[in-house]
Amino acid sequence: MAEPRSEEDLIRYFCTAGNGMEPFLMEEVKKKLAAEDVCQLPGKVLFSSSAGIDKISDLKAAERLFLLLKQDSPLRISAHTSSAKAASVLQYRLLGDKNQWTGAVMTWSRLQGELAGSRTTARTPSSALGLMIKIEEGRGSRGKEEEEGSCLVESRKSPEEQREEENGNERLKSGEQNGTRTLEKKRKRNHEEEEEEAERKNVEKGKSAERGRRREEEAETGMDVEFNSYHGTDVNQSTTDLENNVESSSRTMDFTERLQNGMNTCGDKDQTPLIVGKSKPELSSSIPVSFRISCKCTGSLSRCFSAQEVSSVMGAGLSRLLGWKVDLKNPQLEINVYLGDDLCLLGIPLTRSPLAKRSYIKTTGLRSTVAWAMTCLAHIQPGSRVIDPMCGAGTILIEAAQEHEAACFLGLDIDDGQLQKASENTAFAELGHRIHLLKASSLALPLTSSSVDAVICDLPFGRKFGTKTDMAANLPLILAEMERSVLLIKIVLCVGGTLVLLLSPQLSFLLKKVLTGPSSHQEAKPPPGTENSPSPSVCATKQQAKASPQLSLLPRLSSLRHEATFRVSLGAIDGLIHKYVKTEC
Amino acid sequence: MKLLTHNMLTSHVKGVSKGYPLLIKATQVKVNEVDFNPKFVSRMIPKLEWGALVQAAEGLGHRQDLPGELVSDYEQNEDFLKKVHRILLEVEVMEGCLQCPESGREFPISKGIPNMLLNEDEV
Repeated sequence: MAEPRSEEDLIRYFCTAGNGMEPFLMEEVKKKLAAEDVCQLPGKVLFSSSAGIDKISDLKAAERLFLLLKQDSPLRISAHTSSAKAASVLQYRLLGDKNQWTGAVMTWSRLQGELAGSRTTARTPSSALGLMIKIEEGRGSRGKEEEEGSCLVESRKSPEEQREEENGNERLKSGEQNGTRTLEKKRKRNHEEEEEEAERKNVEKGKSAERGRRREEEAETGMDVEFNSYHGTDVNQSTTDLENNVESSSRTMDFTERLQNGMNTCGDKDQTPLIVGKSKPELSSSIPVSFRISCKCTGSLSRCFSAQEVSSVMGAGLSRLLGWKVDLKNPQLEINVYLGDDLCLLGIPLTRSPLAKRSYIKTTGLRSTVAWAMTCLAHIQPGSRVIDPMCGAGTILIEAAQEHEAACFLGLDIDDGQLQKASENTAFAELGHRIHLLKASSLALPLTSSSVDAVICDLPFGRKFGTKTDMAANLPLILAEMERSVLLIKIVLCVGGTLVLLLSPQLSFLLKKVLTGPSSHQEAKPPPGTENSPSPSVCATKQQAKASPQLSLLPRLSSLRHEATFRVSLGAIDGLIHKYVKTEC
Repeated sequence: MKLLTHNMLTSHVKGVSKGYPLLIKATQVKVNEVDFNPKFVSRMIPKLEWGALVQAAEGLGHRQDLPGELVSDYEQNEDFLKKVHRILLEVEVMEGCLQCPESGREFPISKGIPNMLLNEDEV
């Protein structure tokens, strides 16, 4: 479905990333997308790539993904400038050339179409898509899904929506094939289905036929993003969104018409073939697109403008420039504006929900992005046996299993409730045959020595304690538990195996005590690994030094060699990821 | 519980010196169909305790014709790899228990998940 891309198809994107995740994201885009011109900024990574959008939207270390609209040097407006002058500078600098805007929207629209198309054929655990594959062609994959029981996942969409979605996506494909006959068949089927719908739904009897047609046409352009980027989201939400689209559909209709030459308006049942996609359609400058601007102003500029002001100034400017309409409730297009001391950045989000919100995880524990970063560090190879001795809901194991197909994973937990969640999560992600679960305590690991190649763990120590005094009082207990856990982990790890731990900065201090043993009063050496460890660690350890003394190791006492430490944001708090390798004693 | 997991499990009951391998007493066994990944199987084989695997498979009545000793040059032998794949990943003990060979202590398996938690006096 995606045509092979040429050099010219290098598209520039940017992603937001949680604090501390930027280096991981940079590595990822270079490795997976052969990205060029990769730039790291606080909280963002910019890159260019000609990889398919399905691969790009599969990034694991990113929060959100945007198509870059404009990147520019920072705005310099003194606080004394009049608001009128400031507004005009803003518009001049940010709005610029209208072709740039229309071009970007074209690219965005094309990418939406590709995203939608790739999701129909991809085997995701979404029940709706599973059913679509079934309805469309009854391929072999369906048979397999059945055997594994994944189609038994409760369908959350009404049959009407499923079929319309299916129609919408089939249209995308048929358009590209340029087949009149296929089109006729589908028009006919739509008509039949519309009749069925009308019969079934009393309330929307009159509207449903019309609505069905409009939706198809919306779906074709790929503008109806909610339709095609479902991953088991709430049905009620989707229904409301679709209904909102009906209201604004007159605008959509016009846009569609302009975008695709020779398309008929709704109400016309003639079998004129649609001409979709291969040639870039001419774009009239007066296409009414509905949009909304989200703005973030930081640094010195926030003294001149509020985010609201920027949004309204830009909104007015864009409307005038391109004839677009502002729609704050349910726009077709969202435009993100970031104005900071380092640069101005304008982008269009490419996915409805953040990439960080995984389609294959039902209940998250740890942030998926951080869990993925930890699995990156664990050096997992084909045939690796990886365990998480306190797996909770299984987030880490699921991220690892998604990334590494030829390894096996074992999750341990003492709590039935957590194991239940982990079991549901692994079933939902269709990873039940590679992720196995065990009810056991990390203080008494029931595993043979040297039977594990990697241990990845988010240590929950201290989390159950509410206040600092609670923590202080229980410190000896926490320390003892940590000591025992680490000792047992050391035993089950093979020589050369890796240990990746996530700990709060405060408890990282305890870990140091555990690893240096009773002679902790001896001179502390700088950790041997830090100087030559992979790039992401450097600034992290410096930051960590502020919070707690640097981790040091006395080689002869411990067979766990510290290799790197990274500081990452976990939302309200920060965490430290530590990587160790087991060496010969 | 799959036999891949069983191969790593041992009893750490206090005083026990040889808690491996655990005896499987299964009351419910399921056989699933799992995608065959030859790379995974061939890399996993050298890490397994082969004797324990065959013993466990036999105990479940699923040994079929798995050899008592590892064949050499198994990496290219797809037939062999498929047999190993089957016994490692497709056969699953849903209900039953695991028994420590030395102390006789039983660890229950419920809904495919073994409970290896020890009581305070056993640690």
